[in-house]
Amino acid sequence: MLKIENLRYTIGTFTLGPLNLSMERGEYLALFGPSGSGKSLLLELISGIRRADEGSLTISGKEVSDTPPHKRDVAMLFQDYALFPHMSVLQNIIFPMKMKGYTSEQIDKKVEYLIEYLSIKHIIDRDTDGLSGGERQRVALARAVACDPLLLLLDEPLSALDPDLRGEAKELLKLVKREGRTIIHVTHNREEIEDLADRTIVFHL
Amino acid sequence: MRERGFYNNTRLIFIFLGGVVLLFIIAPLAGMFLSVKSPELFETITDREVTSSIWRTLLISASATLIVSFFAIPLAYILARKRFPFKGVVEAIIDIPVVIPHSAAGIAILGFISRDSLLGGVASKAGLTLVGSPFAIGLAMAFVSVPFLITSARDGFSSVPKRLEDAASTLGATPLRVFREISLPLARRPIISGLVLMFARGMSEFGAVVIVAYHPMTTPVLIFDRFNSFGLDYARPVAAIFIVITLSIFIFMRVYQKR
Repeated sequence: MLKIENLRYTIGTFTLGPLNLSMERGEYLALFGPSGSGKSLLLELISGIRRADEGSLTISGKEVSDTPPHKRDVAMLFQDYALFPHMSVLQNIIFPMKMKGYTSEQIDKKVEYLIEYLSIKHIIDRDTDGLSGGERQRVALARAVACDPLLLLLDEPLSALDPDLRGEAKELLKLVKREGRTIIHVTHNREEIEDLADRTIVFHL
Repeated sequence: MRERGFYNNTRLIFIFLGGVVLLFIIAPLAGMFLSVKSPELFETITDREVTSSIWRTLLISASATLIVSFFAIPLAYILARKRFPFKGVVEAIIDIPVVIPHSAAGIAILGFISRDSLLGGVASKAGLTLVGSPFAIGLAMAFVSVPFLITSARDGFSSVPKRLEDAASTLGATPLRVFREISLPLARRPIISGLVLMFARGMSEFGAVVIVAYHPMTTPVLIFDRFNSFGLDYARPVAAIFIVITLSIFIFMRVYQKR
């Protein structure tokens, strides 16, 4: 599903890699390590936000090292969720479907499913400004999975939440995992990935 | 304790010095408005030469702003988002119209559009005379005012978190759609402020415009012409009317920015 070979990226004085990694379809992989160890950087390389200096990156058999992010079938959940502040919850969720040319029937059907699946019916017409941390996470997750990406990247998905909301948010991730998605979850908190990850890779400084 | 009070000496001196500057700005304008008599003002408002010059000025400045914005906004975006060699030089070039004398800018534009120039020569072969045309006026207005748009739009784009653009691209948006759907709407307010500033600065331009086109007259040229030909009493009502128009635009912009 995902194959990384000799991937190397240098930014300033920090060099990530050379890194080798492979993942099976449906696997939930955790990347665990301290801040500054390059975990989030790896997600940005996989998503295409950054381009690796060396090495190859294959997603579902297709070499994507030089493919721009919008052409990779990868979605990313950002640490602060990166919801678009000028759009409502609904507009945020349909954004990727619009970008990928879904018909209005397909969009309606998918929105209906996501509303039910992630329990966001009560906030669907609201602005993103007044949402709680947990609600923001649900909306960001709905937006990320809206187009059923081959690979879902979660960058510290629970760190922006209050500790008492993390349990609920973790249940949400379990729900997403149960759908058989291929997921990479980056965290610096080991508790976060207990009961979730099939495999953990530890990053060191 | 007394040092922290409102009436300490330093604060009083600063208030006095600041007040002098404010008075320096307000007094001449207030004096001008107070010395304009109602019959003169009414006569000027109904003067076709004045009204047509005002409409001409507004239309040309608005057109120049809109046309140039198609080029200036992408440039502002590149300046906000990309690093490239000689970026500092490009930014300095953009500021040139602000620092050079506007009459000198007019001379430069005149050289650019005169019959001897490449552009003027091509236009001349097509039967068009650029010097003294609305096109020349628009060019002069745009030249002196475009830095205001570029600077404001660049600051606007810089204030949009890069992360939101990254998120949009990972969600399938092409770079053009990222710009259209995310960057542009989120930087809308500073861009509109920049457009209004460019428009207002363009319509107030005298130095560059008077050199490339004395006729047809824009309002600032008309004010100068009336002062030169008939004296202060004839120029003052036109100036008062035009200041009211520019102030209205300025107030609109301030209210919009505060909202």
